[in-house]
Amino acid sequence: MAAVTEAPPPLAPTAPEKKPPRKRGRMVPYWLLLPGILWLIVFFALPMIYQASTSVQTGSLEQGYKVTWHFATYWDALSEYWPQFLRSVLYAGAATVLCLLLGYPLAYLIAFRAGRWRNLIMILVIAPFFTSFLIRTLAWKTILADNGPVVHTLNSLHILDLTSWIGWTAGDRVLATPLAVVCGLTYNFLPFMILPLYTSLERIDGRLHEAAGDLYAKPFTTFRKVTFPLSMPGVVSGTLLTFIPAAGDYVNADLLGSTDTRMVGNVIQTQFLRILDYPTAAALSFILMAAILIMVTFYIRRSGTEDLV
Amino acid sequence: MTTTDNSGDVRLSGISKTYDNGFTAVRPLDLTVPQGSFFALLGASGCGKTTTLRMIAGLEEPTTGAVHLGDQEVTNLPPYKRPVNTVFQSYALFPHLDIFENVAFGLRRRGIKSVKKQVEDMLELVQLGEQARKKPHQLSGGQQQRVAVARALINHPKVLLLDEPLGALDLKLRRQMQLELKRIQTEVGITFIHVTHDQEEAMTMADTVAVMNAGTVEQLGSPADLYENPQTTFVANFLGTSNLIEAEVDTKSGDDIVLRAGGGKLVLPEARCSAPTTAGGKVLVGVRPEKISLTHADDAGEIAEGRNRITGRIADSSFIGVSTQYVIDSPVCPEFEVYAQNIDRDARLVPGAEVVLHWNPAHTFGLDAAQDIDAGVAEVEEDAA
Amino acid sequence: MEQYEPDRLSPVVAAAMRRSLRNGRAAMTRRSLMRASAGGALALGGLATLSGCGIPAAGKTTGGVSADDHSAKEKVVNFSNWPEYIDVDDSEKHHPTLDAFRKRTGISVKYTEDINDNDEFFGKIQPQLAAGQDTGRDLIVLTDWLAARMIRLGYVQKLDSSNLPHAYANLSEQFRSPDWDPGRAYSYVWQGISTVIAYNKKALDGVEVKSISDLLDNPKLKGRVGFLTEMRDSVGMTMLDMGKDPGKFTADDYDAVIARLQKAVDKGQIRRFTGNDYTSDLTKGDFAACVAWGGDIVQLQADNPDVGYVIPDSGYMTSTDNMLIPNKARHKTNAERLIDYYYELEPAAELAAYINYVSPVAGVVPYLAKIDKSAAKNPLIVPDKAMQAKSHAFRSLSAKEETAFQQKFAKLTGA
Repeated sequence: MAAVTEAPPPLAPTAPEKKPPRKRGRMVPYWLLLPGILWLIVFFALPMIYQASTSVQTGSLEQGYKVTWHFATYWDALSEYWPQFLRSVLYAGAATVLCLLLGYPLAYLIAFRAGRWRNLIMILVIAPFFTSFLIRTLAWKTILADNGPVVHTLNSLHILDLTSWIGWTAGDRVLATPLAVVCGLTYNFLPFMILPLYTSLERIDGRLHEAAGDLYAKPFTTFRKVTFPLSMPGVVSGTLLTFIPAAGDYVNADLLGSTDTRMVGNVIQTQFLRILDYPTAAALSFILMAAILIMVTFYIRRSGTEDLV
Repeated sequence: MTTTDNSGDVRLSGISKTYDNGFTAVRPLDLTVPQGSFFALLGASGCGKTTTLRMIAGLEEPTTGAVHLGDQEVTNLPPYKRPVNTVFQSYALFPHLDIFENVAFGLRRRGIKSVKKQVEDMLELVQLGEQARKKPHQLSGGQQQRVAVARALINHPKVLLLDEPLGALDLKLRRQMQLELKRIQTEVGITFIHVTHDQEEAMTMADTVAVMNAGTVEQLGSPADLYENPQTTFVANFLGTSNLIEAEVDTKSGDDIVLRAGGGKLVLPEARCSAPTTAGGKVLVGVRPEKISLTHADDAGEIAEGRNRITGRIADSSFIGVSTQYVIDSPVCPEFEVYAQNIDRDARLVPGAEVVLHWNPAHTFGLDAAQDIDAGVAEVEEDAA
Repeated sequence: MEQYEPDRLSPVVAAAMRRSLRNGRAAMTRRSLMRASAGGALALGGLATLSGCGIPAAGKTTGGVSADDHSAKEKVVNFSNWPEYIDVDDSEKHHPTLDAFRKRTGISVKYTEDINDNDEFFGKIQPQLAAGQDTGRDLIVLTDWLAARMIRLGYVQKLDSSNLPHAYANLSEQFRSPDWDPGRAYSYVWQGISTVIAYNKKALDGVEVKSISDLLDNPKLKGRVGFLTEMRDSVGMTMLDMGKDPGKFTADDYDAVIARLQKAVDKGQIRRFTGNDYTSDLTKGDFAACVAWGGDIVQLQADNPDVGYVIPDSGYMTSTDNMLIPNKARHKTNAERLIDYYYELEPAAELAAYINYVSPVAGVVPYLAKIDKSAAKNPLIVPDKAMQAKSHAFRSLSAKEETAFQQKFAKLTGA
């Protein structure tokens, strides 16, 4: 906003000849910022304001909606749909942890061990992005089909007994259970974990590994004391890039889940498109946004990586 | 320091390194660095000196040969099992740890619990007591360098390896740190192996210098020995400046060899000639620029008998304070360099003047004429750039 | 923020489907895939842009608002339809029935496949219609419940019956007078959609399925039963099973159905509620039996002999996709002529042969038989008398009911 209002006044014909060029020079950065700021206003600030306003309106499609400062919508939405909120956080959290466990070794491999295969592996990591999110998710219905080899293997190893016991699967199947949703989320957001991890691992000076080895650190100690701490910026941004979209996702829950795996994204979708309850949908979106913001802030504080990021 | 213990000896036998891409960095090499010495590996970039050092540290696996520390063979030991520490080029300090933890790193890895006293003492030694809780990026280059040294020394290694430790510092700081390192080495008495491309640094600090070129050691010896009595044109040119003249063996008289160069005759003590000398054979005759006296042609008669002489014309002269450097155009050598102390300056010695160059034959050295006369020159210029 | 949007997605899906399915009958499957997948469309992203500061009331102007009709001067009609919901020739560029229409009438049809989802499309055009603006479309195809809402809101124009002689004459009896548009004053059916019970013979493994009760109660099918996220289909089928008429039920009846379904959800009988992705569950055998759309079954049977269907004795649901002329459309007469054209027997047969939904045109059978004998005999495409007798339609809902019922159904499916 500042840049818009501080735009230089049109040059008056009486203005002294010497000063304006310097002044204009000083304003150049602001002018260059203008498109970006306009973009933010039109596509971020305004929709946010509309959304905020919608969330405190009441009415119906026929009668129209009016701002009545009906904040109760927030409370109603939260008390009605807290299980879905909780589920979103839980599933997104589980998927993030899985992404980290799967993504870290892979990113490590690409950064330090892949050699000339590095680009190829990178492409393989990104390749799924070339197809639609939906198609990728639907593919998991085939992978996890009840009569498929994956479920058979898990069954014969009695792993499904264990996951059923903790409530992540139901009986002999994986599809239409929380586990399937978490698998889908993990798969779909894995590249968001790997890419920042790779970037921060790749940036680590190889001589630091040598120095650690030279100072009596065994390879695993080197990893624990040097590599991992130095990759923290990647870990933090990777977990954020995974967790945030995963918490708002609804496609995986829709296609791979069941009635008891619906996430808050599904609720928002239903409220908005089917029930046409725009205020509740807007309020739910805001609650989700606020919840994520709080968690992220807390997380960044805790991980203490402000100066590393 | 006066111990006869040889556990700090470093013995390299037939060690070599060829990379997967076929590049041979080090050719089979035998080298012994005695316990407690300050040993320098000197050479231009790409000569194999760093690779040699890394093979001692265990960071590089030798293609052939063996590395011994004292009586223990360490060729196949991983770095963290070798009683050797390294000061890395550009230090490789851990950016996420403060100075204290950087220095304590090695102690902690060896399971030593109470590190406080030791670390503080070590930081005192390198005069960084105040900086203990700062992060590496908050220190200056010189301070970081001292942290790197402290981090390695605190482990009391048998051998300390230094890989171009002063390369990132400016000239003044470099001089200061050279003295500092020398002081520390004398104090702790550990074997230091120091890799550098700076011949002056090698000569001021080291007891023994090995000059490396293209994966082999050209010559090994004390700095003075290397300077006064180079065995190859590479050493002659790489260490300081040498004037090299192509000459033909004429006769031998006693311990001296008489050579013909241009129209005149030069005398070379046989002991100072590393090349085979058969009558009629070619030899490169060398002399350092500061050994030469310059006399105006008009006063040629005043020059004492028995000195080697060459005539020429001053092509260029530059005054650099303590001395004046002349470039002489002579029939035997187109660019003969002479450094003259500015004691009694002869006002006639200006470009264009005809002069006689003369020196004590004892300062002459002879080299095998089958080598490249300019070997080592380019490298010096490159590194100076 | 969103990973996909229907607009971006649909060509991909369509292309994928095109590759995997060789014959032209894929069209119907494609069409319903669109409907279902786009049902998974955008909540968060779309929300922001759609929710204005105070959303104006949907203007209620009975009878609709016509613009000046430019039909005579401008020989075009802008037709918006669902993807893959019309005949195409082998090059996949031309639509033979539309080409024939142009040849005969001189009116060229600008055919756009921009309707992926009823809810989403409504969100797209609603602001324009509420503001009394031209949507740039002369003819749109919407599912009956949304068509009802459009009529209720006064967003569409009354049709001129003098331009619709064939439509008037040939519309099947069963589609003639829906309660939301008695006498078809505003809409004509594009295609009908039957909702039936489908099963996978292999997965059933000898278990007999004849009714919705079997689906909800047979313990042998526990966790292998699917219902549709389309409220009217799932609730309607269950209501019939419970002996109530979906054409005239009360709120209590509705609640009873929800309670019955809820019980099945709670005991794990119902595996999940799906959009069109039930087809993969069914063919893989993850569903032993499910509520399904008849059109899909024709296609699935062609690929997988294990797939079969049942028309329950209690009856089945039929819904329709309907052609409507939105307010302010510039070429109303041309649009009406196009509607009428598709009620001529030959074009109707051609369309039916290609897309395999229920043709709304009576007397199409002999013409269809000329093109495709088996299609003409398939009751899913041309319901016979006995089948027609079992067909039921979901009654129209008031705005209040719609919200309340959808809310309850959403809760059933996990919100």
